[in-house]
Amino acid sequence: MNFVQVLVLGLLLGGVYSLMASGLTLLFGVMRVVNLAHAAFIIVAAYIAFYLFTLADVDPVLTIVVTMPVMFMLGVVMYLTLFPRLESSERYVEMTVLLTFGLALIVEGLLTFFFTGIFRSTRPEYATQSFFLWDIFIPKGQLVALGISLVLLIGLWAFLMFTKTGTAIRATMQNRTAAQLVGVNVRRISALSFGVGMALAGASGSLLSYLFPFFPSRHWQWVAILLSLIVLGGLGSLKGAVVGAVSLAVAAAFVTDIFGPTWSPVTFFLALFLVLMVRPQGLYGKVVRI
Amino acid sequence: MTALLELSETRAGYGAGPDILHDVSLTIEAGKSYCIIGPNGAGKSTLLKLVCGILKPREGRVMVRGESVGGLRPDQLLARGVCYVPQERTVFPTMTVRENLSMGAYSVDDKDVVEQRLGRVLELFPILDERRSQIAGTLSGGEQQMVTLGRALMVDPSLMMIDEPSLGLAPTVADQIFDTIRRLGETDITVLLVEQNAQRGLESVDWGIVLDLGKKKFEGPAEGILDDPRIRELYLGAKVVSRESEG
Repeated sequence: MNFVQVLVLGLLLGGVYSLMASGLTLLFGVMRVVNLAHAAFIIVAAYIAFYLFTLADVDPVLTIVVTMPVMFMLGVVMYLTLFPRLESSERYVEMTVLLTFGLALIVEGLLTFFFTGIFRSTRPEYATQSFFLWDIFIPKGQLVALGISLVLLIGLWAFLMFTKTGTAIRATMQNRTAAQLVGVNVRRISALSFGVGMALAGASGSLLSYLFPFFPSRHWQWVAILLSLIVLGGLGSLKGAVVGAVSLAVAAAFVTDIFGPTWSPVTFFLALFLVLMVRPQGLYGKVVRI
Repeated sequence: MTALLELSETRAGYGAGPDILHDVSLTIEAGKSYCIIGPNGAGKSTLLKLVCGILKPREGRVMVRGESVGGLRPDQLLARGVCYVPQERTVFPTMTVRENLSMGAYSVDDKDVVEQRLGRVLELFPILDERRSQIAGTLSGGEQQMVTLGRALMVDPSLMMIDEPSLGLAPTVADQIFDTIRRLGETDITVLLVEQNAQRGLESVDWGIVLDLGKKKFEGPAEGILDDPRIRELYLGAKVVSRESEG
């Protein structure tokens, strides 16, 4: 395939990858929690979209109005019931890794129990349609997903930059102690951020439902990819998540073109190794000295 | 008259660890300025963290203007005029100086009030006025310390607790910071300073409090407290004890 064509296909996917990674990096930034269950909740949202589509004939993109608030609430409740008791632990980081790993297993188990392990996907009309722009092939579904992702990411950015709550979230990301000292209720902000991160997972799930076939244990592959994206960008940096996601999506598109689709996942893990060797803090991450 | 801050037989420590403060009792009156001195590990910083709400008392009481505040969150204490400037640098590194200062007034909704206080802080720290659009993480250590002090002033505090402001600063820069602290002490803000450099700390306040091993030893007018024979005993005595335990 020609260069521009591969580049375009990579960029189209980069938007959705950015959306999925942004929730994960937001949580890390605010709470220093790597939510290993993030992709599992994306799959939950994908199932919600799947059943709304199959049973009620709702367009998967429209299911976002359901998946986002549902996942937001779930996130807030989950944070408030599970995390505060870990805060005083001397091994907070290890505890949260175990907790989110456990959550991922539970979610996967429940999904398999209720919805079986069959491959699912929603099939709105646009998912299989495409058109040519000059001589560039554009899949319509991916273009729609890119558009929705951009709208949501710009919304997230505006929320963080221009609202008081958003400013408090940014302050907490930059310096939790200082945020507390200027009067930010960091527990409330953490609960809210967990909710926002989960809402982003919700929207991602709705889009994923028609972009990539899924089944319960598929989330392991996704969380591994998402981790490589945010490690490249720098943990806790939203700008980093977007840059990491877009560049690796494009890189994966080229690897697929040259070596075949089997090699596409290798791109992410190779990048992960390289980043950890050369620049462990990532592109926009900050160096933490202990 | 009720004291601005009163601790009675308060115990506190970190996590599941041992008590750092043992039955501390002390009274801070409004309008005076104080410096707590004492050897390493005396519990000076722990005391400030307790009062600002980062730590909760295990026993005893912490009272602000007669109201028991032990167990309240930092934002709730801030609403009662108690603010804390920690010893580690705590600017928001990717925000500008101006944003950092505005963040100090996070709990204030009235924009005019925020602007008015911002003007006052920038008057107090002219260098910050020059640097208002600069990203805080790129400032020098002394300037960052000024940002943190200025940010704390944005809540219009009645009690301002400052932990080791001169830590890691060049002597001339530290001079400026101490000078600022002395000027703050002359306003209606009550300053409670913790300083490793006892000499410099005491020069900037009215009253000295000596803390050792989590207890208040004694207190007195800042001027002359260092000549007290008990001070020598405290610092030198503590050294002898530690040598013995090493041997």
